[in-house]
Amino acid sequence: MAKNEVIAMILAGGQGSRLGVLTKHLAKPAVPYGSRYRIIDFPLSNCTNSGIEMVGVLTQYQPLALNTYIGNGHPWDLDRNKGGAFILPPYQSTSRSDWYTGTANAIFQNIEFIENYDPRYILVLSGDHIYKMDYAKMLQAHIREEADATIAVFEVPWEEASRFGLILTDEKDYVTDFQEKPKKPQSNLASMGVYVFTWESLRKQLIEDDSNKNSSHDFGKNIIPRMLKDGDRLCAYRFSGYWKDVGTIASLWEANMDILDRPEELNFRDRSWRIYSKNPVKPAHYIASSAKVVNSALTDGCSIYGTVEHSVLSNSVTVEKGAVVRDSILMPGVTVKSGAFLDKCIVGFETVIGRNVRAGASVEGTCDYNSPYCQDGITVFERGLVIRDNSVIPGNCMVECSGDQECSDVIESTFRVR
Amino acid sequence: MFINAMGLILADHKKIQLGELSRPRALAAMPYGGRYRIIDFMLSNMVNSGITQVGVIALSKYKSLMDHLGTGSSWDLDRKQPGLNILPPYINSANVDKGGEIDDLTGLLDFFQAYQYKYVIMANSNVVFNATFDDFVSRHEESGADISVLYNRDSIRYGTPSVILNLDRRGNLRDIMLDPPKPSATRCSLGVIVLDRELLIDLVSESIARGERDFSIEKLIRRYDEYRIRGIEYKGQVLRINNIPTYFASTMRLLEDQIRDELFGSGLPVYTKVKDEAPTLYVEGNSVKNSVISDGCLINGTVENSMLFRGVTISRHAVIKNSIIMQDAFISEGVELENVILDKNCVIRPGIKLVGQQDYPVVIGKGAIV
Repeated sequence: MAKNEVIAMILAGGQGSRLGVLTKHLAKPAVPYGSRYRIIDFPLSNCTNSGIEMVGVLTQYQPLALNTYIGNGHPWDLDRNKGGAFILPPYQSTSRSDWYTGTANAIFQNIEFIENYDPRYILVLSGDHIYKMDYAKMLQAHIREEADATIAVFEVPWEEASRFGLILTDEKDYVTDFQEKPKKPQSNLASMGVYVFTWESLRKQLIEDDSNKNSSHDFGKNIIPRMLKDGDRLCAYRFSGYWKDVGTIASLWEANMDILDRPEELNFRDRSWRIYSKNPVKPAHYIASSAKVVNSALTDGCSIYGTVEHSVLSNSVTVEKGAVVRDSILMPGVTVKSGAFLDKCIVGFETVIGRNVRAGASVEGTCDYNSPYCQDGITVFERGLVIRDNSVIPGNCMVECSGDQECSDVIESTFRVR
Repeated sequence: MFINAMGLILADHKKIQLGELSRPRALAAMPYGGRYRIIDFMLSNMVNSGITQVGVIALSKYKSLMDHLGTGSSWDLDRKQPGLNILPPYINSANVDKGGEIDDLTGLLDFFQAYQYKYVIMANSNVVFNATFDDFVSRHEESGADISVLYNRDSIRYGTPSVILNLDRRGNLRDIMLDPPKPSATRCSLGVIVLDRELLIDLVSESIARGERDFSIEKLIRRYDEYRIRGIEYKGQVLRINNIPTYFASTMRLLEDQIRDELFGSGLPVYTKVKDEAPTLYVEGNSVKNSVISDGCLINGTVENSMLFRGVTISRHAVIKNSIIMQDAFISEGVELENVILDKNCVIRPGIKLVGQQDYPVVIGKGAIV
């Protein structure tokens, strides 16, 4: 296949509001994951590893961090002379100027960009899923079946099926129907949000959909059902392997812990399918004589003098002597001072946890920061906070500074994270 | 910040051999400090000083060096105009007719003439420090000297080759000694000099005219009778690699908080080739104490007072003490290593025990299966 016969479009504009303070300053795809990655590293690396060299990244919500992170696409080998990575924000034109109002609308507004390259196929991806997938195989299946659309699906346990968008298929895996989070699931094949379209067919649908005032311009809700109605040929493509949507605090925490608990499934050490990321330029990490590091993932720039158990640490994290970090996720640059105890916490960029702070699931106490987004005892800290020494913060809290009152009984001060 | 200089790094040094470790590679390409090669420090110093034109003279065994440097993109030296130039020895057709003599210096002359920078900063590849050259160049400029050479007070501590500088009261070079048994001064050259590009062109042209093929910093500063050569002291932390024991010792010093702070905590980044390894996984049952560990490792066993490079696997019940384990080594179950330097891609079979001495570590060459 000629290189530019297929263009990948990554939908990276969503706010990810259920991640609370973690997405206050950056879009969900830019959230750190798995010690040395950001979520968007997965679709980007999958593209590169699948031989797709033309990738549009559709951004909208808080795009600064994401744009800076992706840059010219160099870390993913997407700084190509022909093709490469393109950041595609909504823009103003003479006839209209609109935010992206839905997933399908985002692609619709970029028809001109796509047409410039005259591709035969379009791969539509989400910027917020963790998985390793060879899109080339899916494209081959799409071409072989002469389909108008191919939807990647994977089997979920029946009891969880009602949480997903489900695909109903016939015995040949042609799609017969689509159910969005149904109460009574008729299928256990969940859509992964990975679509291959024949551009000609999609183009027609996008233009029709745009003129439909009642449409919410969404692939799952509008485009796929419309194509089914029109008698287009829709195929399901079965994927087996690790796949996780990290849309909530609980699922982000779980997906991180999966690196430790199910290392063979994601296997980042597999050199035939590397996950690329932008390098922080830090020295190798240091484990001191006083440290104990068990069942954890660490990366460059960390200095560990305390105890780290069953945790995922991003680059440049410092854990001082006598501190205990357990079942937690520490994002780049976090400092945990001596005597502090973190249990099931997610700590944002560069936040400093003061001396003898006790926080997280097993900590008893009351707190003003209870949040409906935090479940299972997970406590989240916003980036750029200095937490007061000796603070006690129980589970299910989201510690943040709100605009009008910057400090509180647990937040000593805040600083700007660059 | 924006010094008007170009850089030149000499990747080899005739007097420095690291035995089995330098068999497959130039000195500059020697793995160091977990995720670096020695040259990364000097290249980063130059880049952090705002230098955008760097030449690297490679005399032999330069494949490893070229693999590492690539286009120079890791150092932001993949530029349109200046950038990174690897200068391997070059055989011109005239020479080939005369029996294929290799001519190092002609190519060098072209390189110096191609750009209009005022100064050239030249450096050897056996020192590790983290600093910019801003102060060095401005002090050189102020003094009006022809050549300035950096030194510190290491004396002959790191063994041969120690180039001891005798300076007069005004800091002018009066004598040079190589490995004096009883040094009369402690000033030991760092092998880093700055001089006018025009002067360097003259000096190189002269060497070519004399039919010389040897080109070294030591040789240039030996001409203190003809030129005004000044010493400038560098007061920061320096680690030197002159032989296997000092390579071993210099690595082990990176386990000290203060040394790591000075080398990496100053805010000046040390760039290296990006490998996109996985995060390092510490599995239940491991025990790691006082060690520097790079990305991509999988650690089941015990590691103490050691340096692990990228992608190392330490299996269960393996015990690694006071050792340097280079990239992608595989340590099987029950292995015991103490005072060992293991080069890249080695495999140590189950139950093997290797013990060296602190002053004389056991060295296992690249790709060995023990």
